[in-house]
Amino acid sequence: MISRKAVEHLRTAIFIRNLDAESEHEAISRMLGRLQGHAQVQDLQTLSAAVFDREQIDPPLFPGGIAFPHARTNSVSGLVMVIATCPHPIPFGEIPVRLIFLIGIPKRAGADYLELISFLARHVRGERVVDRLTQAEDMPSFLAGFAEGT
Amino acid sequence: MDKTGEQQRKRSLSPLLRRLLRLKFWLVEHLRLSERQLTLIWAALIGVLGALASEGFRKTSELLHYAATGSSSEIISSFVKLAWWQRLTVPTLGGLLAGLTLWFGNRLFASVRQKTTTDYMEAIVVGSGIISVRASIVKSVSALFSISTGASIGREGPLVQLSSLVASLVGRIRKMPIPQRRHLVACGAAAGIASAYKAPIAASLFVAEIILGTVVVESLGPLILASVVAAFVSQFLSGSEPLYKSPGFNLHTRWEIIPLSCVGIVLGFLAPGYLRFLRFAERLFSKIDIPIPFKLALGGTIVGALAILNPAVCGNGQGLLRSLFHQNWFWDEILAILLLKVVATAAAFGSGVVGGVFTPTLFIGAAIGVLYGQTILYVAPGLRADPAMYGLVGMGSFIAATTGAPLMAILMAFELTLDYSIAPYLMVNCVVAYYCSGIFERRFMYGESLERKGAAFFKQQLAEVNLQDLVRGDPITLPKNATFAQIAETFVQHRYQHIYIIDKENRFLGAISLHDVKTFLDRPELESVVIAADIMDEDFPRVSPMQGMSEALHKFSEAKSERLPVVDNLNSKRLIGSISKTDIILHLAGEQSGTGTDRQF
Repeated sequence: MISRKAVEHLRTAIFIRNLDAESEHEAISRMLGRLQGHAQVQDLQTLSAAVFDREQIDPPLFPGGIAFPHARTNSVSGLVMVIATCPHPIPFGEIPVRLIFLIGIPKRAGADYLELISFLARHVRGERVVDRLTQAEDMPSFLAGFAEGT
Repeated sequence: MDKTGEQQRKRSLSPLLRRLLRLKFWLVEHLRLSERQLTLIWAALIGVLGALASEGFRKTSELLHYAATGSSSEIISSFVKLAWWQRLTVPTLGGLLAGLTLWFGNRLFASVRQKTTTDYMEAIVVGSGIISVRASIVKSVSALFSISTGASIGREGPLVQLSSLVASLVGRIRKMPIPQRRHLVACGAAAGIASAYKAPIAASLFVAEIILGTVVVESLGPLILASVVAAFVSQFLSGSEPLYKSPGFNLHTRWEIIPLSCVGIVLGFLAPGYLRFLRFAERLFSKIDIPIPFKLALGGTIVGALAILNPAVCGNGQGLLRSLFHQNWFWDEILAILLLKVVATAAAFGSGVVGGVFTPTLFIGAAIGVLYGQTILYVAPGLRADPAMYGLVGMGSFIAATTGAPLMAILMAFELTLDYSIAPYLMVNCVVAYYCSGIFERRFMYGESLERKGAAFFKQQLAEVNLQDLVRGDPITLPKNATFAQIAETFVQHRYQHIYIIDKENRFLGAISLHDVKTFLDRPELESVVIAADIMDEDFPRVSPMQGMSEALHKFSEAKSERLPVVDNLNSKRLIGSISKTDIILHLAGEQSGTGTDRQF
């Protein structure tokens, strides 16, 4: 089942094609940088700190090389998402990552967060899906690739 | 018959014995006293003891009155015989002695007063049914000094107090549970009122309507029995005449119904003013920063000064009432004594004299009623209105309007006069007065007092209860990196609505609510990617044992949770357990105690 809310979040996400980074930290930092001046980001520094804190506890990774760096923090007023494709896998610990979904979510929106993560976990699964999504050139083609998978 | 058969015959019961046994079982089964029946027996006993205690107080106050005035007559008659300076000094000295008694008593029994109550209303409604013996005696002795030296206050208050104390003692000696003890004290209060006014129906209704707030048979039955027994004993000891014997009334013309029906409106509109004046006097005296003996002496001096003008202001007003109904008074005399009586009562009440204002209020209502009747007689002489009838109706109406208990007022006025002819007018006017008074005043005489006591009691209870005693040391916890699978499993295994998240140092980090995650518990895809830290509420309210119970309850209202985490202190946040709302409520319900207060019937 497709969650309309989750799809809506995907539509409004910032898309980074071919993110090139040497490390997990660099990749996340560059993605966070794209949120500079975002209408729903009130304090980018706090958001960054929260994302890296969360990464330290237990980095959320899916099989197939998908990472979900995220944070629940009141430094964002609504859900914000940055999606990055990495044709050259970036090492997140020992796992080479090809697709990154960076998510910032307000504390009060716990249910939205679970819904989105659940949606992504169900649909971004398997080598073929990840291949298709990493080949996307822009957000519409990324969404199209996503739709094929669902 | 062989030997074995003979032995068997001997072992089996004879038909007669069998019948007797059957009868015994039947009797045991049908005549065994249930708790309800036992309560009735206790209520009857309380009725007897309450009446005896009241009678004892009455006799002692008469003795003291004789010692103070050298006269064994009624208070007003005694004061008429006194010189002007004696009229001033007797109530002043009485007030001083009453105040000294309270002052020493409070110092001696301060610890007792903190643990128990001296107020019967409080003991019934919010207390544990335990009334402090020593503090009650202090109050009764203080009341004896005031009442016997002419304070314009009802001696019925201490009578009810003593009667309730006796009931409380019976409950304590019998080690009855709290609800039963409270009910017994209620029976004691009803017995006290019944013996004071010889009005058993109104007495039981007073306690049911004003104090218990219910007239269900379950609670009313024992109250009625205690009141009737007390009234009988009281009548046996001091005669069976009604307190204010009605001369009998008739309407001379049907048109009189119109002005008679307006008594309730007049008294209903005047009652809020009277209540506010009493409260004003209380506030005024509270602003005077002098020790309590001098405060009561000041109250006595005011009454004494008024007694120089008119000695009829002294006492509870019972003698005045009799005189008002049986003698012809001029309107200006009534108006003068009415105004003086209101001031004297307010002075006694405001200064903190132990006693009640019920009988003075009866007189004030009756006096206004008589004045109104005289006005009708003057304006419409053709109606041939009998002012005394208006006085009786006014008395009931004023009580209904000031106490907020019209049913009790109707029965009280009826029982005090035993005149059925007046009952229909009483009923209409009491109800009308109650509604009219309610337009301007929501704080009735006893309701306000009870409200204040209730609020104060619970505030104190909440502040005194030690949160530490209620902490349970086994909260369900998970580390902040617990997976969603672990969270789901924990919720399945335990019935709690929240899981507390802690760090390695056992510090409370937040809570996960079942309500927030229940729709996702069956989603395996979340099991490995979502951890406790992602979904916990970091702002979940927590309490510390240092905080008071009221703060804990406030936190409960924020969290909408049955249980709250308890941390050692709000800075270090080390989780030491949890506390449940149910435990707090059970604790408050099961171990209530009260505070001492002074206002009575």
